[in-house]
Order: sequence, then C-alpha cells, then structure tokens
Amino acid sequence: MTLDDLQCRLEEVGYICDEEVVLTVFLALQLEKPILIEGPPGVGKTEMGKVLSQVFDTELIRLQCYEGLDENKSLYEWNYQKQLLKIQIERGEQGSSQLEEDLFSHQYLLERPLLKAIQAQRKVVLLIDEVDKSDDEFEAFLFEVLSDFQVSVPELGTIKARHIPIVVLTSNSERELSDGLKRRCVYLYLDFPEVQREIEIIKAKVPQAGERLTAEIARAVHHLRQNQEVRKKPSIAETLDWARVLVSLNRDRLQGSTVERTLNILLKSRADQRVFHEQIGSEELVKNSRAGGQK
Amino acid sequence: MSDEKKVFCHTDKHGRPEHNHLCHDGVGCGEGCGEKNPVAPTGKDPGSKPGGCVGCSPEHSHGHPHSCGSAAHHAHALTCGEGGEIPDRVEYNIVRFAYLLKGEGMRIGSSEVIDALNALQVIPLGEREKVKAALKATMVKKSADRETFDRVFDHFFTGPEIKEEFRQQRREKIELFQQKMEEAEGVFTFRGEQLELSEKEKTVYSCMPEKEKKRLQDFLQMNESRDTLHPEYRPFLESLVKGRLNFWYSQLHREVSEEADQQDMGDEDLNAIRDAAGGEGKGGRSILTEDMRHIARKDLPQATALIRRMTRLLVTRISRRYRISKNRRVLDLRSTIRHSIQYGGAPFKLKYRSRRVKKPRLLLICDVSGSMIRYTAFVLQFIYGLNAAVQHIESFTFSEDLERVTSHFQEGGDFDRIMSSLVKESSQWGGGTSLHRALRTLGDRHAEDLTSNTIVIIVSDTRTVRHQDAQKEMGKLKEQVKEVVWLNTLPQEMWNQYSTVQAFKKVTSMFPCNTLADLEQVMSKKFLSA
Repeated sequence: MTLDDLQCRLEEVGYICDEEVVLTVFLALQLEKPILIEGPPGVGKTEMGKVLSQVFDTELIRLQCYEGLDENKSLYEWNYQKQLLKIQIERGEQGSSQLEEDLFSHQYLLERPLLKAIQAQRKVVLLIDEVDKSDDEFEAFLFEVLSDFQVSVPELGTIKARHIPIVVLTSNSERELSDGLKRRCVYLYLDFPEVQREIEIIKAKVPQAGERLTAEIARAVHHLRQNQEVRKKPSIAETLDWARVLVSLNRDRLQGSTVERTLNILLKSRADQRVFHEQIGSEELVKNSRAGGQK
Repeated sequence: MSDEKKVFCHTDKHGRPEHNHLCHDGVGCGEGCGEKNPVAPTGKDPGSKPGGCVGCSPEHSHGHPHSCGSAAHHAHALTCGEGGEIPDRVEYNIVRFAYLLKGEGMRIGSSEVIDALNALQVIPLGEREKVKAALKATMVKKSADRETFDRVFDHFFTGPEIKEEFRQQRREKIELFQQKMEEAEGVFTFRGEQLELSEKEKTVYSCMPEKEKKRLQDFLQMNESRDTLHPEYRPFLESLVKGRLNFWYSQLHREVSEEADQQDMGDEDLNAIRDAAGGEGKGGRSILTEDMRHIARKDLPQATALIRRMTRLLVTRISRRYRISKNRRVLDLRSTIRHSIQYGGAPFKLKYRSRRVKKPRLLLICDVSGSMIRYTAFVLQFIYGLNAAVQHIESFTFSEDLERVTSHFQEGGDFDRIMSSLVKESSQWGGGTSLHRALRTLGDRHAEDLTSNTIVIIVSDTRTVRHQDAQKEMGKLKEQVKEVVWLNTLPQEMWNQYSTVQAFKKVTSMFPCNTLADLEQVMSKKFLSA
C-alpha cells in the first residue's frame, strides 16, 4: 500500500485528517511499529484504531486500560472453573501426569485481548486505549509484548505472533509515559483540526447541513476552543452532534438565541458555561463565526 | 529527467539506499544537474529554502546526474563529491541533526535515530514536508518538543547560502564577544596591570547599562590616577569591583547567562545552526524557562494555564496513589492457604492484602514579603490548585509574622476572588522578612498541625533578617515534622552567593523554584506524591 492509497482509503471510510497524520500512520505500518497517539480528548484518537480496522477490513481487538489492569485481564488466564470440573470428573480414572498435561492446554486457556491479537490468524488491529490510565508495572509489561510481539506462558512456552498486529495506543497524557514505551512507538500528536479541516469533517459526516451553516459551526467551535478558560474544549464528536441538532431544528445559519438553547451540547459543565456567558456570550460567538467568513 | 511526481530513494535488494546522496528538493543539487524538480515546495512554507537536502550538506552543493538504471523507480539519486561517493551521507546528516536536537534538550537515543533512518527509506525523500513529518513521527516523543523540532528542522535542512549566513552570524557573535572581553580587560586595570576577574564577571560588565559602566570606569580611573596608593590596595580594589559585578549579576542574571552561553558542540556548522535556531527561539522564548519574576503581563494567562495543567497532573497522581492503595487487592497466598485447610484444601475463600499508604499532611508557608511578590502570585496559583484536590492543606503566609490563610482557600471559588480577599485582609503582604518570628509563631500557636506525618513546604528566597535565629528555629521545626521542603525562588546558580541559602540548606531539602520548569520538576519529586 502506498501513501496515496492510504490517504484515499482513510477518506473513503470518512476519516479526514492532515497529510502529516496520514504519513505518520503510513510509517508505523511500514516499520511495523505501534502508533502512540496523544492529544486532547475528543480529537479522534480512539477513532483512528477503529478506522484502521475498516481500512484493512480486519478485526479490531480493543484493550481498555484502567488502574489495576494486569496480565490476567489483558493477556491470558487459566479457566479455573473448567479445570476444577475436569479434576472432579477424572478423579481416580487416569494417571495424574496425563491429567496435568491436559489441564494446561489451550483448551483451558482464556485468551485476553493481547494474546488474542498475537494468535490471530490474520493481521488484526489492536487498540490499546488510554494507556496512561494503567499502572507503571503494566506499562513495563506492555512494552515487552510490543517490542517482540511474543509472550511466554510458563505452562505452554513462548507464543510468537503469527502476524504482527497493527497496534494503536492512545493516551490523554494524564501522566508521562515511560521512555521505554515511547521508544518503541511512532509518535503522533493529534490536535483539534483547523477550521477548514473541520468544515470538511462536518461536510462528510453531516452532509445535510448547508454550506453556510457548516462554515459557521466550524468557526464558532474554533472560537470556543481558543478560549483558555474553557476547560473541556468541545470535541469533534460534539461539533457533529451540534451540527445534527441545528439541522434538525431547520437552521441554515447560527443565531444567538439558537446558540443559547443548544449550548449544552458543546459545553457540558457549569463552570465552562459560566465562562462562556461571562467572557464570550452567544451574540459575540455568532458574530465571530461570521466575521471569519467575510475576510 | 524527472518529471515524475515523486523522487524515490533507490534501494538495493536489502532495502538500503544504494546512493546515499539524495537530493531533497532538487535545487541544492539541481544546480549541478541543471534541472529543477517539479515538486519542489512552493513558497508556502517559510522553512523551505532552496537547497535543503536530507542527504546534501552545503559543502557538497554540486553534483552530477547519475542514471540509476532502474525502470521501476525513476530515481533522482545522485552521487556526489570530489572523487567518488560520500558514504552514508543521509546517516551522517540525521545523526548530526539528532545531536542538535539533543542539544536543545530533547531525549533522543540511538533507537530514535535508527527509526528515523528506516522511516526515510519508505517515504519519498523528494518532498520536504514528508521528510519532516517522518522525522517528527520517529524522533519527537512529547508534545512539548514539537515546536523545538520544527525550529531546528527549518534551520538544519536549509540551503547552503543560508547556512553560510548562520556561520557568518556566529563568527560575528564570537568576534563581538571577544571584543567585549578585551574591552573589559582594558577597563579593569590597576597601575597598568590586569585585575583578576573571571570570564563570567567580564561578561557581567559587558551586559551592564552604559551609565553604570561609566561609573565603574570613572571609579577605576580615579584609583589609577592616585599614585599614592599602596600596591597592597589591589586585592581590596578587586573585591570591591567583584562585589559590584556580583550585584549586577543578580540583576542581569538572564542576559548574562545568554551571553555566556557559548557551549561548543564540537562542530562549527552545528554551532552556527544552533545559534541561529536558538536566536530565533528567544523571540518566542518559552515561559517555562523564564524567571517567574520576568513573565510579562500578557503571558500571565498562559502561565496560569500551564500551572493549572501541572497541578492537574500532580493531583491525579496523588489521588491515584491513594485510590490504588484502597482498592487494589493483591492475593495474600499464605493467608488463603491457611484458611483453605478448613475446607479440605480447596481455596474456598480468597484472602487479600492491600498496601497501606499514609497520606502526608501538607503545610505550606509562603513568603509574601516585598522581594517575593512576583513569585507569590504563581506559587499561590499552585497552592490553589492543590487545595482544590487534596484536603488537609494548611496554608500560611508570612513576612514580618505568620498568618493563617487556609480558610480563604477552603471557601472555594474563583482564584481572583481568593487572591483579592487574601491581599485585602492580610497585614503581611509586602512587608519585610522575619522568618524566625514566623517560625516561632508557628510552633507556639499551631503546634497541633506539626506531626510526624506533616510535610512542611516553605516558599521563599531565603533573604530574612536574623537568619541564624531562623536556622535554629528551623532545626527545631524539622525535629517535629516528617520533612521540611524549601522551594527557593533564587536561581540555583546564585545559591552560592548567599550565606542564608547555605544556612537553610543544611536543615531543609531545598529545591530551586525560579521558573515554571523548576516548579514542574518539583512536582515530580517524591515527597509530593508519596
């Protein structure tokens, strides 16, 4: 697959992004390295994993990270209940050594996402979401897996990846990730899109919105994100929701009163709404969304 | 020759570049081959100057066309140099580039360099933006470093003429520096002999305002003309002059360190590029490394946002730790087996153990005397952020005496409101500094807050009256609490000059807290998260 192919395919599945982003993903694919995506919430980090599985028409295996996530939940676990049942059934029937061998076979192995991705019959996309939420120990374990794409299960030996999966790691930079993990990855910083890019995104996802409304929405959201005091900046998904709502209200342009009523779609905390009313105001926002267009 | 859209690297069967000299935008080498690559970047990007090559360094800006003989890729690969190929030109340049980035404080190891080289093999080397993106993806691992990367990239991969300009600038800079040194040497004489001054002190002189220079000159001149002075007067004069220069160093700290920053990278070219890249950076100098006192009013919102982000990181770490210790359950094998005996060996009931982490109590004492005002605004931001997340922080301010301000923060609300109520109701704001009295008050009136689990954080520049007494008080305090941490707002280079710093350093753990970067460092320290 060439760079241009990748760009086309990404656009086909509706993921619109800068050339730099496409190139970084392309590199990660070519070098068979994981992609580490950082950026503010709501810029489409997780989406990247989903989109890649669509582009390559393959399975998406997702590992959601959280505090306390460990090998048992991410790699493999023995199916204890099944093993105990087996012991009960076989009691007194067979040689114990045979039984032991049986008990620790693939039959009793519960595959968790990492092992599943490694053992898959074809190249899959492994999405490791919010890796910054996991603990340090898990991170260390993770980069072992990601560097060699093999894991060892003491009872079974080393399991090597049949196909090196496409790995996408996302992080909200809640904490600094270790250098070791970063070294193994290609790094991509996703930021909020520029106005023009966002217009394209809205056009692709909410085509019903008119030309004018689309542009005004993109500029208004951009203006909101510029304000330092707004803590939770509106995400791309929220922009799209807003566009859909405005379309369903049959608007073809932004108006102060409409903004006022639909504000809770963009700003979802009281503090942010207060900041909006004190520092921006819906009339000002509408004015800004238009002023940009006249330039 | 090449009217194709892309210029590919011609690789051999091992996937390595056969010709290492790869022209980047067709101009740098194109002068030799008399043609221009049609995809040379248009003037859109300010960094895309003619002649910027990945494999091409300015001293080899001429080349001759070399037919690659492969129909599959119509490659614009050039061998270059007098008398044969220069091997590993791309490698050479990337390594040098990485070295520059390292010099700018980025963490780049050999694995990043290897990745970068591998990346360059799978992308068209003819397109500057793509090369840039590829190097960025493999070498930058932190969002904060992206700006540095852009700056260095634009200066490193640039045309020979511009590089020559950088070299010229560097030569001029060095000449100017030497001139200044000579000028200083000319001034600091006593009876025709040089006074013994370090290079730093001479640099301080060159940075001083003209009026002050003149005063110093007049003073020296006056001594020169008095023949009656005994030669033994010289050391006295020297220490006088040094004292004066030291005073100015404390005032002009930033200018001097910039001026004296002549770190050698072992390669004149790299030095030149670094100077040029750094020089441009200073315009948009990062407020992270700026002395907090100097942060301009217009940068305040940015600084505030930064502090907020930092505290948020710290707070999640602190609260995370406690959550882990509460919830995380580790199987206690020994106890599980012991309890399993009553069920005939089946581990019917699982026993867990959990780590117990004792929360430290934080006690903050913030210097709000006249000399500290500018820093206080930032430090209080930090405290405000912490207060929002961690309960049980006792906050105090002091100048001539101690004052408890915890209640202001506990009420919650807007930072500005808290600040204004603090300043309005405080009798301490902007006064002189008397730490020993403040500490005594703390011991007398707030003894119940001083437990073996308390961490005391003092924010101050150490400049106080009666510092010996204060040191004694501090010793007493230290015995009562777990740890005393001192965040010193004086720049670390100047610590040696203050006896007060030395005195307090003995009884506390002292960290610099002069810039926002320092503050960030402090937050990664163990005492705050453990």
